[in-house]
Amino acid sequence: MKALREAAEKLLREKRVSLVIGYEDRKGRPAFFAAKPEDCGRLAYDASCRQNLAAYLGKPEIRARLPVAVVAPPAVLRSIVVLTAESQLPPGQVLALAVDGDSFLGTFDAAGVAELLRAKYSTLAPEPALLERVQGLLQKSPAERAAFWEAEFSKCTRCYACRAACPGCYCSRCIVEKNAPQWISTAALGHGNYTWSVMRAFHQSGRCTLCGACEAACPQGLPLMLLNAVLDREALEEFGSRPGYDPEAKPLIGSWSADDDHSYMR
Amino acid sequence: MMKTETSTAPAPAAFEPRITAFVCNWCTYAGADLAGTSRLQYASNMRIIKLPCTGRIDPLFVLKAFENGADAVLVSGCHPGDCHYTSGNYHARRRWTLFRKLLALTGIGDDRLFFSWVSAAEGQKFADLVNDVTAKVRKAGPFCAVHPGRRAS
Repeated sequence: MKALREAAEKLLREKRVSLVIGYEDRKGRPAFFAAKPEDCGRLAYDASCRQNLAAYLGKPEIRARLPVAVVAPPAVLRSIVVLTAESQLPPGQVLALAVDGDSFLGTFDAAGVAELLRAKYSTLAPEPALLERVQGLLQKSPAERAAFWEAEFSKCTRCYACRAACPGCYCSRCIVEKNAPQWISTAALGHGNYTWSVMRAFHQSGRCTLCGACEAACPQGLPLMLLNAVLDREALEEFGSRPGYDPEAKPLIGSWSADDDHSYMR
Repeated sequence: MMKTETSTAPAPAAFEPRITAFVCNWCTYAGADLAGTSRLQYASNMRIIKLPCTGRIDPLFVLKAFENGADAVLVSGCHPGDCHYTSGNYHARRRWTLFRKLLALTGIGDDRLFFSWVSAAEGQKFADLVNDVTAKVRKAGPFCAVHPGRRAS
């Protein structure tokens, strides 16, 4: 914690960044934006920080204040690599203050982040408990699965906190806001809720780093990570896709190979 | 009241599946055309929607079809290597590989969502495909009971 604060303070004092995006040292660990060196004493990090701060990097308010530094646990480091691969970060304008558990790992630029991930976190895998839940759901009948999601999606209030929390959701105009034609009903009712959550997850396929920020942000507690996890597993098994490691990676959907499996095609 | 022989009340209709097919203009639609001009008989349950290419078929189209009353959806296009736009079907294939698993998790499985390659020369394959898909969906029954993706009627 002390090392993190000192590193952040140093960056601001040396004017290498104009803003440090981190977590505040108070209950709930909300996002905290340190603009002055003396603010850095309020920074903190521990396992209860579930927000993915890389989501702020696409916001115009933050873009206006580049260069910035972000407090980043491993999943957020991966998000930074995904955003780099998608040309969403101006080169050299984002630094990562890498943290993991109780330890502060140092300050890294985009290339350094990719290197750190390869060296230290190349075997990051989804939590076994999450995959077990996916497997458990897949073992049920289609009708039971539908009933499960019917009950879950009926709680959705369409606040779009899942979208706001996700660093991958940076479109300036989201499909759900397009109304000519309106593809996704905006009423907080059955089919609109279903289509929204399914498409939100699908738009993250091959890009999601399973940081869990969407599910943590959901005020209704929808199990959104089930959707993300099934796509992540499929992308890995079918295409060997591991988003967030290669800053030069081509987008999974948007590229193709003549050897892709199509055994399900008739 | 006694029921007379001349009652006009309709018998309860057997389940007739409604199947939405999203097909590409250059291969499967031409294949369907060939099935027609060859006077092949096949099930009339398929409603075909023609698009320029399978690469144009957004997964949203599939959800929209289910939302609005389809019992099943078929997506069909050119065989790999035969795409009119060289790679549209390759792009589509990768998308479907992921999307079908996502839908399976939400209760729309292999008995509701079908994929095929049908070329412009495969009129017979198209007719057989429609018959086969229709039989499978007939067996699976109506897609309506409880599904969050369905528009409440």
